[in-house]
Amino acid sequence: MNALLFERIFHALLSGAVVTVEVSIGALTMALLIGLVLATIEHLTVNRIVVVSIRIYVELLRNVPSLTFLFLLYFGLAATGVRLSSMTAAVVGLGMIGGAVLVDIFLAGFRSVPKGQSEAAAAIGLAPLMAFRLVILPQGLRLSLPPLGNYALGLVKDTSLVAAIAAPEVMFNARQIVNETFATAWVYCAAALLYLALTFVVGQMFALAERRLEY
Amino acid sequence: MLFLQTIYANLADWGPRLLDALWTSLALTVVAFCLAFLIGLIIEYLRTRRSALVRSIAKSYVVLARGVPVLVILYLLYFGLPGAGIILGAFAAGTLGLAIVYGAFLSEVFRAGLAVIAPGQREAALAVGLTPVQAFRLVLLPQAVRHMLAPLLVNLISLLKDSSICALIAVPELTLISRAIMSESFLPLHVFALTAGLYFVIAWSASLAVRAIERGMALEKGQSKPGKAAETLATQAI
Repeated sequence: MNALLFERIFHALLSGAVVTVEVSIGALTMALLIGLVLATIEHLTVNRIVVVSIRIYVELLRNVPSLTFLFLLYFGLAATGVRLSSMTAAVVGLGMIGGAVLVDIFLAGFRSVPKGQSEAAAAIGLAPLMAFRLVILPQGLRLSLPPLGNYALGLVKDTSLVAAIAAPEVMFNARQIVNETFATAWVYCAAALLYLALTFVVGQMFALAERRLEY
Repeated sequence: MLFLQTIYANLADWGPRLLDALWTSLALTVVAFCLAFLIGLIIEYLRTRRSALVRSIAKSYVVLARGVPVLVILYLLYFGLPGAGIILGAFAAGTLGLAIVYGAFLSEVFRAGLAVIAPGQREAALAVGLTPVQAFRLVLLPQAVRHMLAPLLVNLISLLKDSSICALIAVPELTLISRAIMSESFLPLHVFALTAGLYFVIAWSASLAVRAIERGMALEKGQSKPGKAAETLATQAI
């Protein structure tokens, strides 16, 4: 392998990595927002209709493959006149799926806060909302951190799927450069290393956060 | 309403093709899961050996397979291996790729399942004269399987979902065929809604089964610890 070829592969994958990171951060932000809001609502409300609608959202999105959902969003919506760019479709699609996953993670976190905590909060006179914000939420979030880290790792890997809707991330660029140079094994092995590095960094960040937030 | 009518009008054309593709998806899932089961068992076996070299090989396999997207592994197998003279068909590459990744996931399931069993069980089995393999097969595995059933099913569901990725190496499975139908009919929303519905029906019924198993296990646990059950009853009474 000569230096020129190496440089081309390196540049293509690096610019792809930037897009991968962008899509990951965008989707993670959206997933965190959706997950946190819906989990809070489901935890606090007694309205059955609200709970059932949240459940429908979660079950629908958790039981459909990411790729199928991305196609539905990208090609399907375009047919109704809503044209999403491939980057928007990628962030929105992965973000909506992630939101459904995180609702369950956060809910499990809130529910594993010992019951005595909310009883004690009520006993010292906190209103239910205050009790949730000051007592349940901080402890519940800390408990959800390990599964949240697992989700983030999965998300970084799932961003490779948005190559199929032509978002110029690592795998899309890798495919491009393979078509030009035919250095198939080199390029895909380099992509694998890149993903390993990315998931390693994300894993370390969450491990650090867990250590920092321990009691 | 019009949306459903359009789907219904095209069902005679799409239905058989989508069902055929669904069978391919299911075959892909089941074959990959069986292979992954074997790989997972082997990895877990190697990980408990005494030799540090063997252990670290098994551990790095898990780290590698869990840190790289399925798509990269599929591309390496399907497009990369021919360069080394090994040519795999799309279906073979798809099953192998999924099995490599899920083998690593399943080895974690096996580890967690076996960790639940008290070490005394294995010691007792060896003390009555069973060989290590017999002890594993007759004493440890039957007990561990009950704890592993739910996580195994969870992995089977996500394997079914990930089988859609094989569309990108041209395995004629559900997602690829619906893409093909889309480009003939120009009705992407209808086709993909139908496809998503098919995936949903299978994955959701399986996840209901997972929940039923988990509830059963939780009930059993509650009964085996009468002190705990009495405690929750007491707090409810207050």
